[in-house]
Amino acid sequence: MKTSKEARKLSKQLFNGSFSDGKLDAAKVSIIAKTVIDKKPRKYVEILKNYQRLIRTEVASRHALIESAAELGGDMRQQLLGTLQSKYGADLTTEFKISPELIGGLRVKIASDVWDGSVRGHLSRLEANLATA
Amino acid sequence: MSNILQELESQISGLKTTTTKSNVGIVREIGDGVARIEGLSDVMLNELIEFPGGLYGLALNLEEGEVGCILLGDEKEIIEGVEVKTTGRLLSVPVGKGLLGRVVDTLGNPVDGKGAITATAHYPVEKVAPGIIKRKSVTQPVQTGIMAIDAMIPVGRGQRELIIGDRATGKTTIAIDTIINQARINKANEGKPGFRPLYSIYVGIGQKNSNIARSLAVLEAAGALPYTIIVSAPASDTATNQYLAPFSGAAMGEWFMDNGMDALIVYDDLSKHAVAYRQVSLLLKRPSGREAYPGDVFYLHSRLLERSARVDEKNGNGSVTALPIIETQAGDVSAYIPTNVISITDGQIYLETDLFYQGIRPAVSVGLSVSRVGSAAQIKAVKQVAGKIKGDLAQFRELAAFAQFGSDLDAKTKSILDRGARIVELFKQVQYNPLATEIMVTTLWSMQNGFMDDVAVDKIKDFQLKLQDFFGTRKDAVLAKIRDKGAIDDDITTDLKAALAEFKSTYR
Repeated sequence: MKTSKEARKLSKQLFNGSFSDGKLDAAKVSIIAKTVIDKKPRKYVEILKNYQRLIRTEVASRHALIESAAELGGDMRQQLLGTLQSKYGADLTTEFKISPELIGGLRVKIASDVWDGSVRGHLSRLEANLATA
Repeated sequence: MSNILQELESQISGLKTTTTKSNVGIVREIGDGVARIEGLSDVMLNELIEFPGGLYGLALNLEEGEVGCILLGDEKEIIEGVEVKTTGRLLSVPVGKGLLGRVVDTLGNPVDGKGAITATAHYPVEKVAPGIIKRKSVTQPVQTGIMAIDAMIPVGRGQRELIIGDRATGKTTIAIDTIINQARINKANEGKPGFRPLYSIYVGIGQKNSNIARSLAVLEAAGALPYTIIVSAPASDTATNQYLAPFSGAAMGEWFMDNGMDALIVYDDLSKHAVAYRQVSLLLKRPSGREAYPGDVFYLHSRLLERSARVDEKNGNGSVTALPIIETQAGDVSAYIPTNVISITDGQIYLETDLFYQGIRPAVSVGLSVSRVGSAAQIKAVKQVAGKIKGDLAQFRELAAFAQFGSDLDAKTKSILDRGARIVELFKQVQYNPLATEIMVTTLWSMQNGFMDDVAVDKIKDFQLKLQDFFGTRKDAVLAKIRDKGAIDDDITTDLKAALAEFKSTYR
């Protein structure tokens, strides 16, 4: 569905008002959403959908998905968290996931950036290189 | 042995530590050959995007929260929510002499069942046209082999000459004739020092498959296929492939230009190309303008046709000549796309339906056809015999309209009408039968010098064919002289006079 210019502009304004001290404020987000639903301005569904998309993108940019083939030890998790927080800020949230299809190594995804050090990733790259060679 | 093991070990240890960074996105919407992707924060315009299963897309719309992407293949396997990634590469196609004699699709994959193509290199499909410093004036001719065109609307290497006309007026035939003539010249002069072959590329956009197959069969029968590349994006192909096909063809032509060779490229046709681009643009939800075409439809064609050029010695010393084709509706040259392309090109060959049905084929309209740079590249011998023909014909058309009303004509008017009627007859030419330059020169010379004045108009064609036969079989030396000298001097004039006198004494 194409979002209208008006809805896009309003949702952007609401999004800009959802921050406290440069960080996304969950309380503000819920108040804004509730107010929009109650007052039902023109094109409010479009506004809310676009607002949700902006919030989702913002949350994803502060969230790291760390995938590994096997369960990571506590030390390793702490070390990873430390490295990532030093690079992206202390408010970075993390989620650990076990993905056996990686075979080995790690895959870290933050927003649209992916660091792939998994065996599966290496094999796919090798396959692509061999196909083009 | 231990060395190999050590090397392997170091490679494996290297593998363990290396990680690669990529930029990914999530497919939010997909359908009709277009995908909308969320994420891809680092994507660049026109960058290739990799989908799962080996499918690629092209990022065309970079919006605030989404990327609009056109797909270069079948989207059936892709579902909403799958992850895609940027590649950092531009779309490129195989180029080189390995493509000659082959039929390929928009991406350069063979579709003729003759096996894999050995490409010399890969060229990006979208490339900036050569700038003014790299360019050189058009001075060498492209012989189309069609007398009406070579005499009145000459085309030079590096020129863009539009072929425009209604449906079924012989537009493709002119292009195919030109390709056949290039192959004939290439074959005849192969290995001669200083000879520059002209390779042809035929890009079929939105054509019926049967039409492309017919053109292919004609080229094959005429022995022109070994000098030709056919890029096929038929009507059954996706709009994306139809939109990209002429750019792929241009990339293949540029390789010849960059490597000191000459290429001729036919875009058949740009009306359908504009329609395919309109479809892509509307699906990408770009704002539409006149006739629902996007605002950049002019830029679409100008950036494509600007890539045809002649470059100097420092920059490849080659050329790309373009023959774009435009189909008009009911002869309306002032429609949106025709006026755009007319203003971009260096002249046009306008084909008229009325002339076609009067039996004047090729149905070239002399008044509306023009070549803005070609006369600089015209062979001197042709210029000597054809210099005044365009004016003569224009005068003839004007007087012919008046002559319909009255029967009493003064001698001068009558001579102009007689001469004009003979020129019209001479310019009639059957399809797929291009003429050699020296044959054209002798025919036009004999007409200009009054040797056809006493031949009845309905006998002119017969006279011309017999004359050509006579020169081809008995006066090959004169033809060779014209071919070698490229101009008519006193010596050749004497020979021509003697030959014509001899022919006329035997002509029945």
